[in-house]
This record gives sequence, C-alpha cells and structure tokens, in this order.
Amino acid sequence: MKKTLLIGLPAVVVLLLVFFGQELVDLYRLQAYLTESEEQYQANKGAWPHLTDACEACHGRNGSSLHQGYPSLAGQPEAYLATQLRNFANGDRENPNMTPLAMTMSEEEIQLYAKFFARQPAKDNRYFEADVQNRERGETLAESGGCAGCHGDRLMGQGPFPRLASQGYDYLLNQLDAFAEGERNDPTGMMNSLAAGWSPEDRKAIATYLAGLPTE
Amino acid sequence: MARKQSSDTAINTQRRKLLKFAGASAAVGGLGLSAGLARASEALSGSAPGEVLDIAIIGAGLSGLTSARDLQRAGCESFVVLEARDRVGGRTLNYDVGHGEVSDVGGQWIGPGQTAVADLARELEVDTFPSYYEGKTVMLGGDGQLAIDLEGTFGTDHALGEQLSELSRDVPSGAPWTSPRAEELDKLSVGDWLAKQDIKPEDKPGWDGSIALTGGALPAKMGLLHFLSMINSANSDYFKLDAIKDSAQGTRFVGGAQLLSIKMAEELGDKLRLSCPVRKISNWDSDVVTLHTDQGTIRTRQVIMALSPPLCQQIDFSPALPANRAALQRAWPAHSPARKTAMVYSRPFWREKGLNGHIFQVNGPIIWAYDNSPVNGEVGVINAFVSNANLPSDHNQAKRALAEIYAQAWGDAALRPVAYHDQDWGKVDPWTITCISAIPPGFWTTHGEALNPPSGNLIWSGTETADIWAGYMDGAVRSGHQSALEALNALRLRSRS
Ligand SMILES: Cc1cc2nc3c(=O)[nH]c(=O)nc-3n(C[C@H](O)[C@H](O)[C@H](O)COP(=O)(O)OP(=O)(O)OC[C@H]3O[C@@H](n4cnc5c(N)ncnc54)[C@H](O)[C@@H]3O)c2cc1C
Ligand code: HEC
Ligand code: HEC
Repeated sequence: MKKTLLIGLPAVVVLLLVFFGQELVDLYRLQAYLTESEEQYQANKGAWPHLTDACEACHGRNGSSLHQGYPSLAGQPEAYLATQLRNFANGDRENPNMTPLAMTMSEEEIQLYAKFFARQPAKDNRYFEADVQNRERGETLAESGGCAGCHGDRLMGQGPFPRLASQGYDYLLNQLDAFAEGERNDPTGMMNSLAAGWSPEDRKAIATYLAGLPTE
Repeated sequence: MARKQSSDTAINTQRRKLLKFAGASAAVGGLGLSAGLARASEALSGSAPGEVLDIAIIGAGLSGLTSARDLQRAGCESFVVLEARDRVGGRTLNYDVGHGEVSDVGGQWIGPGQTAVADLARELEVDTFPSYYEGKTVMLGGDGQLAIDLEGTFGTDHALGEQLSELSRDVPSGAPWTSPRAEELDKLSVGDWLAKQDIKPEDKPGWDGSIALTGGALPAKMGLLHFLSMINSANSDYFKLDAIKDSAQGTRFVGGAQLLSIKMAEELGDKLRLSCPVRKISNWDSDVVTLHTDQGTIRTRQVIMALSPPLCQQIDFSPALPANRAALQRAWPAHSPARKTAMVYSRPFWREKGLNGHIFQVNGPIIWAYDNSPVNGEVGVINAFVSNANLPSDHNQAKRALAEIYAQAWGDAALRPVAYHDQDWGKVDPWTITCISAIPPGFWTTHGEALNPPSGNLIWSGTETADIWAGYMDGAVRSGHQSALEALNALRLRSRS
C-alpha cells in the first residue's frame, strides 16, 4: 500500500536515536505492529490471503464478534460449525447472508472453516450489559430446562451442541424465536419444543442470561 | 437543497415536499413520515375491479425511479411504482446532520465515465462537488501510526494496478461470462491472483481494504472474473475505480445522492406507493400479472423488477420461476451489507492541522474513514466504512469506540462529536440485504446467462443488470432507462398481436 512504510525497521531505529520525534515513535510502533500481526496471521492461518478472512467482517476477528446481532464462531465445536454450514447450503437453515455464501463451499472448505473457528479461543461478550432481573429469571429457566446436559459444562458447547455462553444477545433471541416459530429446526426437535414452551419474555430472559455468561 | 428559492415560505414548502419522500431519517420538526404515508388509505391504481395497468415498477431506488421518469416523459400514464419502505432512494440515504446539511450513509460518489447518473443529476439540477482529500491520511495499526499524503490515491501499487487493468480488457463489464477467457479466470479468486504477486506484508492490509470496499468481500472469496469486469466498467483503468482523485470516489452530490430519487419521486404524485412491499407475484407468464402487496393486489401487463436478485428471492413467484433464473437468485451472493457511520463535529477541525480526515486502520473496526463534510465545510463530518462485527452494536458504545480511534489520529477534539449515525444495511430493515454483490469464483460461468432475459412479463432490472457500472448508482440509472424501453416495446409488440 503505502510506499513510505517500506523503510526497514533497523533504519527506523537509527533515525529514532537521532531525532526521537513523536512521528518516528509512531512510525516505529506501526512497523512493529505490522510485523507482529503478520507473524500472528501466518501462525494462525498460514499464507495470505486466507479464506477465513472473508468471515471476519461479520463474525469478528478470529471469530469473536463484538456485535450482538452477528454470532461469534470462536470456540464453537467443530462438528456443530460444519453442520450449520451444510444446513445453510442445503436449505435446512435459511439466512439471506449465509445461504448463498455456504453454497460456494466445498466439503473440504467447510472442514477448513469448522476446524479454524473451533480452534480460536472463545471470548467474553464484554460489551453486553445484562439487566440483572432478567438474567436471574433466565438462569432459573435455563436450569430447569437442563441446557447443560446437551450444551455442556458452563454451556461451552460440545459435539453437535453449540456454545451458548457469551454469544450475542440479539442473535440468541433470534434463534430462540426461530426455534419457537419452526423457522429453524434441530434434528431431535428438542430446541423447538423447549423454545415453543417459553413466552417471548422468557426467551428474552434466557438470551440475557446466556449473553452475559462468561466463557471461563 | 432548496438554495435557489428566495423566500422563506417557498423554502419551507419545497422542503416539506422533499422531506415527504426522504423518510424518517431526514424528517425534522415532525414532518416526513406521516405526510409520506397519508395516501395509504386511498385505493391503489390497478386495484379497481377490471382495471389493468400497462406497467408496474417494483422498487423506488434510482433504477425504478429512472424507469418511471422515462415512462412519464414518453407519455405513458398507466403505471405505478411500488416501494416497500416509507421512503425512496433504496441504497442511497441522506442523514440529516443539522443546519439543513446532510451526509450520505449509502451510495454517494460518482466518477469518470459514470455519465448516465451525471446527466440525470444535471437534468434534475442537482449539483456536484469534489470529495475532500487534500492533506495527510493517517494509517493506524495498534498504537502506531503514520500520517502521509496519498495525493488522492489509495496508495495502491501501480504496477499491479496496471496488470489488473490489462487483464480486464478481455472481460466485458455487463457480461463477464462471455469473455474469451471466462472459463480460466472464473476458476480463480482475486486472492489466488494476489498470492502469486509477491506482495509485501505492509501492503497486504491495503489490498484487503481496497478489495473489500470495491468488491464487497475479502480477496479469497472475491471472484477474479467479476472483479475484472468491474475494472472494465472503469474503462479498464484500475485507478479510475480504486482512488479518489479522477476516480470513482472523486465526486459527490450537493444535498446528498438520495436527492436524485427524492426529486424524481416528487414528479410522480400518486403513481408512487410507499410502504407497499410486493410479497407475491402470480401469473407472470400470462397476459395479466397479479402483484400481491400489503396494500392490496394490482393487475398489470408488464412488470419492471427494479431490485437486486436477493430482494427478488424474498418474493413468492407463482408459478415458480424458470429453473435457471431461480438458481441465479438463490445463489446470488448477499454477504456485503456495508456498515457505514457518520460522526458529526461542529467543524472539520482536522483540516487546520493539514490532515484530510482520512484513516486506514489495520485490524481495527475502520476499513476506511474519510471527510464527508458538506460542500462548504460548514460542519465537520467523518464517515467510515466499518467492519460490521468488529465494532459494538450498541449506538453509544460504537460512537465512543470510534471517537477514541479518531482521537488517536487527530487529537482530543475528536472526542467531542455533536452527533453520530450508524447504519448497518444488513440490520436496519430487510429491503437491502447486501449493498454490493461480491460475486464469487465460478458464479458467472454457471449463472450469467440467466441474468438478463425476461421471464414472461417480468423485466429484470436494477443496477445489477447494467451493461456498464453494474453495482453502482450509474448502473442503476442505466438499467432504469433500458427497462423502460423494454417495457414499452413489449407493450407495442403485444398491441400488434
Ligand atoms: C453503503 C453503500 C455505499 C455505496 N457506495 C456507492 C458509491 O459511492 N457510488 C455508487 O455509485 N454506488 C454506491 N453504492 C451502490 C448504490 O447505492 C446502488 O448501486 C444503487 O443505489 C442501486 O440502485 P437500485 O435502484 O438498482 O437498487 P436499490 O437502491 O436497492 O432499490 C431497490 C428498491 O426496492 C425496494 N424493495 C425491495 N424489496 C421490495 C419489495 N418486495 N417490494 C417493493 N419494493 C421493494 C427497496 O426498498 C429499494 O428501495 C453503495 C451502496 C451502499 C449500500
Ligand atoms: C455478511 C455477513 C456475514 C459474513 C461475511 C459471514 N457470515 Fe456467517 N453468519 C452471518 C449471520 C447474520 C449469521 C446468523 C444467521 C442466522 O441468524 O440464522 C451467520 C451464521 C453463521 C454460522 C452459524 C453460527 C451458529 O452459531 O449457528 C456459521 C457456522 C457461519 N455463519 C459461518 C461463516 C463462515 C465460515 C463465513 C466465511 C466464509 C461467514 N460465516 C461469513 C453473517 C455472515
Ligand atoms: C437434548 C439436547 C438439547 C438440550 C437439552 C438443549 N438444547 Fe439447545 N440446542 C440443541 C441442538 C442440537 C442445537 C443445534 C441445532 C442445530 O443443529 O441447528 C441447539 C441450539 C441451541 C441454540 C442456538 C445456538 C446457536 O449458536 O445458533 C440456542 C440458543 C439453544 N440451543 C438454547 C438452549 C437452551 C437455553 C437450553 C436449555 C433451556 C437448551 N438449548 C437445551 C440441543 C439441546
């Protein structure tokens, strides 16, 4: 991009010693940051440009979304991720953004995404501010619903069951509504019958509880 | 906007009329919404028993409104425009920044060779002015930065740009699948091509940003054949596409791009129906087509479908569409719902420091921030394309996070914005879904042939169908002209038989 950036690192250090201006410090830091992120990229993904780059605008850097409406993929079980991509592609699950995108994926590519995002560390949903009353009601509902039996310890996900802890609030609520209305189906029908049994207010409370649940 | 009016009352009447079509975003002082919707109770033309319209246009974006304007100018009176939203303009939208000024949060720039939209603007008396780029752009990465004068470019490597330009000569803009090299080029992504060019680490973020902004996807998922067709639109000159000065980001509209649509809508009177989504289309293969809308049914001979394939995909067709068209719609990529923000300051304070208000950021929420102040810089506006999920969704959290990044680049004055608007086109409503079409490898050679041919009495229109500048406002205007002609000709042929 910017030819001025081509000044090599050692040269910058030398110049730094001579002038020590703020601009040079800033440039030095920029160079250092570029080098560091290049190394991280190579280690985590491999050669640039990588297929997973195309997912990060909507699913966040390395699969951790800061947006309550776009789901995080980081730390989701590999099997779950692969199933969802196949479901989008074959129409079992519908979403206007994901359906055509998933249709471009070969089985090999699906495996690549699933492996990559499963490997990324899950992060806390730190921008979510939970309403305390709702959270408590959600916790009670989740406990009586036996979520952990399938969704795993601390609701961190396992096998075909997604991680729910620290997922985006708006996304979770949408999914619960979609299960309740039969727009999304899980193979056993369990999620559909659970969700249909909750009132709209219950679903909000559960989404509040899950979105605020830490990953550790 | 109404600068040419002399008296206050004239300004107000004019403004009231315009606001009616601009919708809620531009509505001030209680005007707007209610006025625009008042007609919902009246009967729809085309809905009376036995009445059949000549033409119905679905979508009041630049494309549909251009068709409507052409029909009207040709003397055709038997038509209606049906728009799902409570405003016109589709993917163009003015955000009111106060003092009667606006900032675009949708499509906004035009450039060299975009003559259809430029001509339309002249006819509608909408002025243009150059984008502001004089001064230094700030590159941010982590806690480091560099202020550099890019002289109206995006700093893209010249030799690589030339190579892309050269390749694009073989790829016709409106029909990339007909390129003699289609087979070979459509197997590749832009990423496959870039991977072979030995690009320096510090140049990679620049390519990521450019391809994402222009093409709508990161390089690995961007089809090379399609990307080349976009360069072909720019007269096979990459730098007419990917730069500011003398390029596709170089010129803006006084009063915002939505003003074009607002002015066209004004002439339509009750031929335009707002808040009137079409849910179902039946008998499209028969002489009389029926449109089922939220305001009742309409019967018509011809339909101009002035909306993108993913939006068509939300409509129920009975009987089902021909297999190849149905397949095209279903596979059409819709994963580029831009999130665009506007931060308003009392004045463009960065300019005094020799900065142009532009930022590129590595690994941050900002893809590109730029000075989007109104023509005379009366207020300071920084627009930004942000990465949807790398900035919090909450309005205030997002505003704070962005202001802090701006402060890193330009100092603490950036921490005191007077207003903020945040538009994620994929989330605000279901009537855009995607801003541009990031056509993936393999798409055009599979589905290209199904893009243009009409299905029965449905004429496929909208910017995606344009011969030149498909995906741009210019393409929308071109497709609008073309579809009006096709509709009139279809009626002419029918009246003969
Ligand atoms: C953030 C952003 C930035 C952009 N930047 C630029 C730029 O700088 N320069 C440029 O040239 N282009 C730009 N574009 C693209 C440009 O805005 C579009 O190409 C152009 O506006 C498309 O016009 P259109 O009429 O073809 O489609 P649209 O504007 O999408 O119009 C379609 C209309 O159909 C309506 N509709 C949808 N479904 C239904 C239904 N079922 N029934 C009735 N009505 C329906 C919609 O509400 C909409 O009004 C940008 C787009 C975005 C979103
Ligand atoms: C334009 C934005 C966008 C892009 C780009 C995008 N996605 Fe998505 N994705 C979404 C949305 C929105 C959802 C939620 C769909 C829903 O509500 O059902 C989703 C859901 C998913 C899910 C299911 C998540 C869950 O918890 O069930 C997976 C898996 C997924 N995407 C993978 C990907 C991969 C892999 C890529 C990159 C190749 C990608 N996405 C790119 C928007 C996007
Ligand atoms: C019997 C097993 C089972 C139990 C118990 C269960 N779930 Fe699920 N849940 C699933 C499966 C399977 C899926 C994924 C369905 C699919 O593949 O689309 C799922 C998906 C979900 C999702 C969507 C997540 C995403 O990322 O898209 C939510 C939210 C959810 N469950 C909430 C709950 C809650 C809350 C409880 C407890 C009250 C619960 N589940 C109990 C099996 C279960």
